[in-house]
Amino acid sequence: MTTAKPGPIIPPEAAPLRTLTVTMAVMCTLACLAIGALTLINRAVDQWSHGLSSEATVQLRQMQGVDPQAELAKLQTLLGQTAGIAAVTVMDPKDAARLLEPWLGTGNTADLPIPRLIRLSLDETHPPDLEALANRITIEVKGASLDTHQRWQAELTRMARSLSLLAYAILALIAASAVAMVIFATRTVLDANRQVVDVLHLVGARDGYIARQIDRRFLATGLYAGLMGVGLALLIFLILGLSGRVSGEGLAAASRSLLFAPPTVSLTSYAALLAVPVAATAIALITSRLTLIRMLRNVL
Amino acid sequence: MVRLDAVGLRYGGGPEILKDITFRLDPGAFCFLTGPSGAGKTSLLRLLFLALKPTRGLISLFGEDVTALPQPAIPLMRRRIGVVFQDFRLLDHLTTFDNVALPLRITGQRREAYAQDVMDLLAWVGLAHQADAFPPVLSGGEKQRAAIARAVISRPELLLADEPTGNVDPALARRLMHLFLELNKQGTTVFVATHDEQLIRQTGAPALHLEHGQLRAA
Repeated sequence: MTTAKPGPIIPPEAAPLRTLTVTMAVMCTLACLAIGALTLINRAVDQWSHGLSSEATVQLRQMQGVDPQAELAKLQTLLGQTAGIAAVTVMDPKDAARLLEPWLGTGNTADLPIPRLIRLSLDETHPPDLEALANRITIEVKGASLDTHQRWQAELTRMARSLSLLAYAILALIAASAVAMVIFATRTVLDANRQVVDVLHLVGARDGYIARQIDRRFLATGLYAGLMGVGLALLIFLILGLSGRVSGEGLAAASRSLLFAPPTVSLTSYAALLAVPVAATAIALITSRLTLIRMLRNVL
Repeated sequence: MVRLDAVGLRYGGGPEILKDITFRLDPGAFCFLTGPSGAGKTSLLRLLFLALKPTRGLISLFGEDVTALPQPAIPLMRRRIGVVFQDFRLLDHLTTFDNVALPLRITGQRREAYAQDVMDLLAWVGLAHQADAFPPVLSGGEKQRAAIARAVISRPELLLADEPTGNVDPALARRLMHLFLELNKQGTTVFVATHDEQLIRQTGAPALHLEHGQLRAA
């Protein structure tokens, strides 16, 4: 009695999937880099938006025939009475002048009617009605106006949204390329095993059975390539994070923040990265199965 | 068991290579198909094991019109038919045992369930000692017997053989034919394409003669 294990119905050496494994691993690395960029963009936008939305600035311009100190006092009283404002900080005129130095040069602002700037820290849980506050300030304090930073916030959000869309487009292109590569590889495997498939058909094998013999190799390829891709991407982030001088401190800090953020923050980014091998396996398995079934159906 | 009515076959836009083929095989029949090379014997067998569809006419197997058979039903129909090919069609990467066991394996049976049956059949065709050998090291006769064992392992109702003795010496040819007769005694309908007139005479079974794509009783 023969004791050997049954041999593989489709010989693995007939059409090795090494090329597909390598190219899919590279695709997965690119996908991880795109996901890393997306994560950093989202995180930065959250931080900027949080900073901008928790603060506002009141500008008090000097006007002819108006006592600026009286208007400032009036403004402070008004702000002090407004609910939702946690702190009011009147910026020193010298500090305000210093903000203009990059454009006007040092010492050239002494005679200029520089507006007084008042920084408002807003209560994030119960923020004030900024529209109503702006109206009151304009009406009650001469030369005063409220800047809520909404214009900056909107521009930042628009830019971040464009970058996010770009990252998603890259991910979609990577997925489409992976699908095309798997279809091509499936056809190659089927062509290389045409005689085996013919015999299987003639002894009564169903298309699903034949497809399973072949697509389990694609399942293994997708998983292996995905894990290799994630590993390579993590290595790239680590190298970038450790080589601040070469890659620029911004990129290095961003890479470090991806890898070593607190668990509450890094959990989502690691989960997104680990979704890559899952997606690669699913793409390899589903694409090869559908391609095989479609091709086998055309063989009598 | 097998019924063909006015069956015609052409490849693409070429001439008709089978014309108005009409015959029937009753259950338990043993029949030869003879004719010169290129007469269309292999094409007729390919129609019978559903590797081709006729361009016209009706083919009925086991009482079912196979020309109208939906695609998913074809594998089930093929499992009722054993086929011995002239070129053996053994899979070189599988052992003789695995080749013979293939029709059972594709139905999802476990190795333990069929191992004894396969070994018994290999012993019956005289190949037990080659169970772990791969086809490239088998002789022509051994390959032919392995192909026959694969064709009959699932006890098909119909056995089709295309020149099963074409690659073997006369003594082995007689032995293989004896195998077919044994199977036929056990109830399998056997249809053998051959141009070996002597073998047909020795067996004494009826024969159909195919020439220029047309059929007549020999």
